[in-house]
Amino acid sequence: MNDQWVSFPRIKRATVLRDLIADESRHRLDFNRRGLVRVGGLTALGLGLGDYFRIQRIAAAGESETSIGKPKAKSCILIWLDGGPSHLETFDPKPEAPLEVRGPLDSIATAIPGIRFSECLPSTAAMLDRISVIRSMTSPLGEHNFGTHYLMTGYKPTPVLEYPGYGAVLSQLNGRVGVLPSNIAVPDFKVGGSRLTGSGYLPPETRPFSVGSDPSKPGFAVRDLDFYNGLDLNRLDRRRRFVESLNNFEERKSKAGETSSDPDLERAFRLIASTDAKRAFELNEEPAATRQKYGTRTLGQSCLLARRLVERGVPFVTVNHKGWDTHENLTTRLKDGFAGARVSVGLVPSLDLALAALIEDLEQTGLLSETLVVVMGEFGRTPKLNTRGGRDHWPRVFSVMLAGGGVTPGLVLGSSDAVGESPRTRPVTPSDLAATIYTLLGIDPRREFKTDDGRPVSIAPHQAEVISELIA
Amino acid sequence: MFICWVLLAAVLPGKSDSLVDFDHDVMPVLTKAGCNVGACHGAAIGRGGFKLSLYGSNPAADYRTIALELKGRRVNLLEPEQSLVIMKPTEAMEHEGGVRIDPGSDSAETVIRWIREGALRSHDGSRPVFKSLEISPASVVADDFDQDVTLKAIAHFSDGSSRDVTRLTVFTPEDPGALSIDSKTADVHVRRRGRHIVIARYLRAVKAIEIIAPFSRQVSAEPVDAPDSFIDTSVNRLLKKIGIPASGQLDDEAFLRRASLDLTGRLPDGQDLRWFLADDERIRRTNLIDRLLASEAFTEYWTLKLAKLLRIHGKPGNERGAEKYHRWLEQQIAENAGYHTIAMSLLTATGDTEQVGPANFYRMVGGPREQAEFTSELFMGSRLRCANCHDHPLDHWTQDDYHGLAAIFAKVRQEPIVRVVDDGQVINPRTGKNAVARIPGERYLDDDHGALQAFARWMVSEDNPYFAKAIVNRLWKSMMGRGLVEPADDLRSTNPATHPDLLQELARDFAEHGYDLRHTLKKIATSDAYGRRSEVSGGNATGGQYYSRHLRKPLEPEVLADAISDVLEIPEIYGQYPAGSRAVKLINPQVESQTLDVLGRCAREESCETSVAAGNTGGLSLKLHLFNGPILNQRIASPKGRLSRLIAAGETNEAIVQSFYRAALSRSVSDDERKFWNEQINGSGDQRRALLEDFVWSLLTCQEFVTNH
Repeated sequence: MNDQWVSFPRIKRATVLRDLIADESRHRLDFNRRGLVRVGGLTALGLGLGDYFRIQRIAAAGESETSIGKPKAKSCILIWLDGGPSHLETFDPKPEAPLEVRGPLDSIATAIPGIRFSECLPSTAAMLDRISVIRSMTSPLGEHNFGTHYLMTGYKPTPVLEYPGYGAVLSQLNGRVGVLPSNIAVPDFKVGGSRLTGSGYLPPETRPFSVGSDPSKPGFAVRDLDFYNGLDLNRLDRRRRFVESLNNFEERKSKAGETSSDPDLERAFRLIASTDAKRAFELNEEPAATRQKYGTRTLGQSCLLARRLVERGVPFVTVNHKGWDTHENLTTRLKDGFAGARVSVGLVPSLDLALAALIEDLEQTGLLSETLVVVMGEFGRTPKLNTRGGRDHWPRVFSVMLAGGGVTPGLVLGSSDAVGESPRTRPVTPSDLAATIYTLLGIDPRREFKTDDGRPVSIAPHQAEVISELIA
Repeated sequence: MFICWVLLAAVLPGKSDSLVDFDHDVMPVLTKAGCNVGACHGAAIGRGGFKLSLYGSNPAADYRTIALELKGRRVNLLEPEQSLVIMKPTEAMEHEGGVRIDPGSDSAETVIRWIREGALRSHDGSRPVFKSLEISPASVVADDFDQDVTLKAIAHFSDGSSRDVTRLTVFTPEDPGALSIDSKTADVHVRRRGRHIVIARYLRAVKAIEIIAPFSRQVSAEPVDAPDSFIDTSVNRLLKKIGIPASGQLDDEAFLRRASLDLTGRLPDGQDLRWFLADDERIRRTNLIDRLLASEAFTEYWTLKLAKLLRIHGKPGNERGAEKYHRWLEQQIAENAGYHTIAMSLLTATGDTEQVGPANFYRMVGGPREQAEFTSELFMGSRLRCANCHDHPLDHWTQDDYHGLAAIFAKVRQEPIVRVVDDGQVINPRTGKNAVARIPGERYLDDDHGALQAFARWMVSEDNPYFAKAIVNRLWKSMMGRGLVEPADDLRSTNPATHPDLLQELARDFAEHGYDLRHTLKKIATSDAYGRRSEVSGGNATGGQYYSRHLRKPLEPEVLADAISDVLEIPEIYGQYPAGSRAVKLINPQVESQTLDVLGRCAREESCETSVAAGNTGGLSLKLHLFNGPILNQRIASPKGRLSRLIAAGETNEAIVQSFYRAALSRSVSDDERKFWNEQINGSGDQRRALLEDFVWSLLTCQEFVTNH
């Protein structure tokens, strides 16, 4: 099916595409086999979002093709470890360092000889030949809000402007097609002290749609997707029609002035009405073994939900996992855990289960090649343990993991020094990372948006450099 | 003057032989070529190791950078053509920014000649200083749509001389889709009808030029002269000039709804309607406005409006202070205190914030710089923020202005007990030293101790060109749906008002009448411009921003929440507030309320004007919540309330529909609508109830209900 499209001239494809979108909004598509067919007209009909971006660029701006090559990633899952995960207890352990640096956890070998991960990441370590890690991320911002803004947008925060996050940029560029929202946060988007809206200077409708509750809870359901007591689809449909009629009466009265249509009401209705789209949130459909494989905690079940959303064509999902601000008691917080804890505990094993299961599942359905998976937080942790057996904020060097979606597999990029204090080779800034993520997603990082007051702002900062080694 | 030129001409054989001046000739070339914009060398850290001041705001620094830095390797005095500063922009050498200056062009020649002549800052110690920029014409009505307009830029200097600098001036259209400008000739080609703005920049001067391409030349507009209303005179004049017909006047019942919502944040009830209709037709509207302005509901609603502007919210531990503040404000509104008096109290109040309401003014944001930004946005409608890091590129604010104002607030302890102290400084990053207290755009204040008082006095004085304009623009926006200047907190010469004369006159009239908020609101509410229908008529679909018709406004979250409660006759519960509390009266903007959350209220921790959450702009979550959440469903299904009451009273479907139309839309059901509802609502018992519930739900969701129009 893909080939058929490739033979079309580009502009023609743009026209066809527009018709498809219009069509998709009228018809409900049926799907039987999980993982093979995607909701959201584009991908269901064999046209990737990457193509769509390119078409949009050409059709809208008349710009020339950029030199970034054919992007592979159509969607992205960002696993956000809120609070700042310790690089020393995850992807960059220092087994040779003195105890106060090495910390309480051991390290283990990975699939790549000579590279070691934390002992709590055995499954991830075993698949290092299929994923990629940057060990030389560096930033000057060691405060949660600031660091979060920098990592989530590629821009250092300024009081003048909030920049948009990855999902909002994607959402703005792809025009919010399909029944499911195109930028979704699981369970919510309260990141880095929750001052970030996610949409920055872009319109508020590009903000992440929060599913609003924890997928690991027994009664998990997205707020307001299920009928209010006593209502059913027929009545909602009738209500929607009544609203339409009322708006039409008024429109007729006003002789077709301002439009009276209510696209958000239609979107909401379509989502409520689409059992198929809503099935994305039905984690119970997954076999018990699968649910177990991801780990039964919040992070695992959130990743499972993210996979189901991406399978249905959602371009951007943020899995927001809280509790990584581990100022004390590393062993409990990061490794052991216990039932009924008040803070998140046993964090790294949770991550290991969730991440390995996600990568494996995406590989099996063939989606990994077009799904970019990113694991990061706002900074790393101090090389020396503090007096409470924890580590404090440390932005000077930290690690980020990437996989799938056109990322070079098995690459360990850059390194930190002997104690994990500073980058030793190939320092990478969050701006560089942003330019790389956008490039992988088929978005020219130098493309500009205009803010409300007319200021042109490029998607990633001008000085950002794409990390070419990372792009396969 | 003529003789002077002749003499000069005699001394200097030809213009091209006059010496090139760095400030007046080279700098504009760099600006025109875009070298010093924020995305290139004008960035705070420069680019490629070469940093210029943003838009050339600092010629001295730029001269040092170009001529002296790196031991002068950017200029080659022996072979000027080989200088880095010319080889890069002409791309004789690799240049990331590409070709900015064409080789062999006048611009290139200017730079090369400047180097050949010694690359000096100036050739004459007593060189005249650039004073002002004049663009002619300053305002154009392009009668013929296809006709090009040629702009001319004249620079005036301190010695009285002037010079044509058109070639060196950068002209930028505000909307590139509407105008195209030839950068060499300054010919403006109009591509779209309407009112357009061109920004002209030469050295540090920026000017806005208005270019109008009328929609139609023959407009049967209303009489232009409106002797009893300067508002209508101004609005009608522009409509005529721009060629847009005006919509007619709204009918009385619709006017009642509009004015009630705008002035009191409430839907009119049956009593209001009876009083209104009982009045003589000729004075009905004026009497209504007077009645609304005098009502308690006005005080409640406008306290909320100002509380949002002042960002009144209780930080943890200061809830009592916030309440005191709110009550104080309410009292000012109730007593109709002049806005200048209110502002003076806010700026100068000190003491225990739990005792002294207005002292909480200094508790709403943290830090002197934040206080400077907040205060200038609030009382001057000006965004000083850019000037924190560099001189404002589109306005005259400098870093000295910004940090000078912050220096005034550095003397205020923003603590539970607000007091003015002697110590407290901020650093001006430009000088690296303590900033000197300064009234922005005006003068330095030598007496540190009295700086705050001096600033406050200046703020409310008639010398301050911003104070009255900033608030009347907001009052206008609140009533008319759009500020004469948009955004309302961005007053500057390069963002001109749609009706500059009207803004001026409203401000003058406001000051003349004791800064009386009610006075100006009444002026607006009784104008023809306010009373126009919101429906499009005679092809004025595109002219909304010129008030050819009334602009629709979404109801504010608090107003909408109250309106829903009023229509359903069941109050909403807000946190710990007693049952029956109205949303507009809530003091705590962050009180627990899912309803206000989904309707998009402002938490007031930041500006509510720029906050994206302001206004119920819809959104998927809101619509999902309307369908399936409790906000409407819970109370519609309740055995109490209007619907159940009417059903229990044995009312007919038609009577029920009529009652809800009256309550929600403040009008009778039309014949078409009556027919439609008769067809739709046909059933008995539970089925009838369900149909009626669906009717009520749709009524509370439709555009006519959720907007003021």
